Amino acid sequence: MIKVNKLTFISLFLFSSFCLNSQILDDLTASFDSYSSYYLDDSKTGDFNFKNRFRSNNYLNLKSNINYYWSFELQIESYLPKALLNFSPNFKETGISAFNIQYNKDNLNLALGNFYEQFGSGMILRSWEDKDLGINNSIRGLNAKYTINNNINLTTLFGNQKKGFEYSKGFIIGFDTEIDISKIFTNDNVFITGFSYVGRNDKESSSKLYNQMTNLFSSRLDFSSSSFYSSLELIHKSKDPITLFGSLSDTFIKKGSALLYNAGIIKNGLGFDFTFRRLENMSIFSEREAYGNIYSESIVNYLPALTKQHDYSLANLYVYSSQPNVSFQSKNFTKAGEIGVQADLYYFLEKESFFGGKYGTNIAINGSLWNNLDGDFDFNNQDYNVNLFGFGEKYFSELSFEIRKKWSPKLDNIFLYVNQYYNKRLVEETTDEVKTNIFILESTFKINENKSLRLELQHLSTKNDMKNWSALVLEYNLSSAVSLYLSDMYNYQSPKDENRIHYYNVGGSFNKGVNRYALNYGRQRGGLICNGGICRYVPESTGFSFTVNTSFF
Amino acid sequence: MKTNLTLICFFFSFALAAQNKIPNVLLKTLEGKTISSKSTYNKKGLTIYSFWATWCVPCINELDAINKDFDKWKSETNVKLIAISTDDARTKRRVRPLVNGKKWGFDILVDENQTFKRALNINGIPHTIVTRGSQIIYRKIGFKPGEEEDLYNFILENSSIKN
Repeated sequence: MIKVNKLTFISLFLFSSFCLNSQILDDLTASFDSYSSYYLDDSKTGDFNFKNRFRSNNYLNLKSNINYYWSFELQIESYLPKALLNFSPNFKETGISAFNIQYNKDNLNLALGNFYEQFGSGMILRSWEDKDLGINNSIRGLNAKYTINNNINLTTLFGNQKKGFEYSKGFIIGFDTEIDISKIFTNDNVFITGFSYVGRNDKESSSKLYNQMTNLFSSRLDFSSSSFYSSLELIHKSKDPITLFGSLSDTFIKKGSALLYNAGIIKNGLGFDFTFRRLENMSIFSEREAYGNIYSESIVNYLPALTKQHDYSLANLYVYSSQPNVSFQSKNFTKAGEIGVQADLYYFLEKESFFGGKYGTNIAINGSLWNNLDGDFDFNNQDYNVNLFGFGEKYFSELSFEIRKKWSPKLDNIFLYVNQYYNKRLVEETTDEVKTNIFILESTFKINENKSLRLELQHLSTKNDMKNWSALVLEYNLSSAVSLYLSDMYNYQSPKDENRIHYYNVGGSFNKGVNRYALNYGRQRGGLICNGGICRYVPESTGFSFTVNTSFF
Repeated sequence: MKTNLTLICFFFSFALAAQNKIPNVLLKTLEGKTISSKSTYNKKGLTIYSFWATWCVPCINELDAINKDFDKWKSETNVKLIAISTDDARTKRRVRPLVNGKKWGFDILVDENQTFKRALNINGIPHTIVTRGSQIIYRKIGFKPGEEEDLYNFILENSSIKN
């Protein structure tokens, strides 16, 4: 049974009557997203052992200008009769998920209510929404931005973070300034510097042994010219107790830090990018008790895995998630963070050149290496001492090579080779290490102006874990509106017969303007599901799913 | 359940009639300079905003497809195209090298925490918007090969219509 809180209903009613009688209507935009599933029992992936086979997540977002300076946003979410599997239990029933009023005049922007914000690259603070992963850590409070002479941006904020329809008990305060100092120099190069502060006050978990307030300071410098760019960001986090086996330690209290350096060269069809990052004890949640929760609730900062984000299912089987935390599970599982590098090389072979052919060829090479911090870990006394630039045991490495080639107006190909090493034992704190070689070939045939066929062939070979996999995707675009697809992933060499499962999916979608409807039937593989570098575990499931995305403007 | 549906229908009924403009938010150039969305569109002519990301294969396919004939589009209709990268901290470092390799002949702006995307109520990418001045006159989600022709025809039909 769905309950709409009386007060919510009355305020919505009054609010919408008010809308009808004002110019708000003229400027109103809305979006509606609905994701529903009907879960089935499956002899291979197992019976559905939860309540409510039918589940649905629904999001309605409304925005409008009240007048020239004022605007508002309202988001209503409904989880009927329950949220989809693996969403936080805090997402339940129907309610107002976000409401804010904004004032925008000249260089001043004020938001009162729920808002999203990011300082620098997000390593110190980021609030954002990701419906696929069930992340919405908007802050409810005040967000003020002021720009001086187009060169200095000042931002300040305070408030509590959202978790489900509730709010975390901890309080966040933040300040950010970004100054464009390019004018000091006479050339066209761009220099931007920034400083941020974020404080998290958690009264609930205060102790005489540590402060209820944790402070983070960040400074950054970005440089950019026409062919070279670089940026450096440094973060210091004040002392914070470590969470061990689900509870805060009174004695294991450590500082945290982060260092991010990025540089790149771009010239004549060649692009090279390099990143170094070191994270030590850098997780921060708006309430300490949320530490390490599987739903990424109350997460204050954004520390994504810096690896290539793949679009293909087999390349996403062994995907790395960043390791910013201190973890002392046993003598063999002592971690204090991560250190590593990523590099990308892009090259465009010109049209009409020997290798470029008639249409040119794009080549992309990516490599990444991520390790534990190196140092002395004292498990018995719960302490560690790590080196600044020492590389400890390897977590993950990847090398990939991609070619995109258009052969004719009718045929396009993408070829991708990936070589991975995944230390499942250390990253997931289980057993096993996995080395893979993955080959992917994607072909798109344009049949006529509106009809096309897309085929993906994938193979993953490994001697470890579930052994070899193969996968296939066939997509037929019947018209600009209708698309049908069929896909399968199969671990055909899995050591146990009963574990060899065809993860098949069939479905279709209908697109018209801003409306999209999609229907799918099939099996969802269990394991780590990742999006934007944030991952979470999902159990296997089988069933139908139905998606609606629409906007009004 | 009933209450819920009534509410949703109620909102939709008036949402359908609405028109909209480009909201005022802050974006960044590839070099990191801050720019207001208000200063990005053609004041009188047409502007295409294409929301994309480095990891979104159909988005890149769409921009590649448009880029192929974009010189012709520009000379015939005077249309402006701005590709809005929604890459966040994880992938935004790939934007400049990728754009450079692609040799795209249009502007790129960066919407790292997706403020612009959210302000326009965009739920997924690729998502394409066309404006006349600041007024939105066309929106579309998704991209399939061949759809660039539909967009071109729309631009062609509307480019001669004055405000």
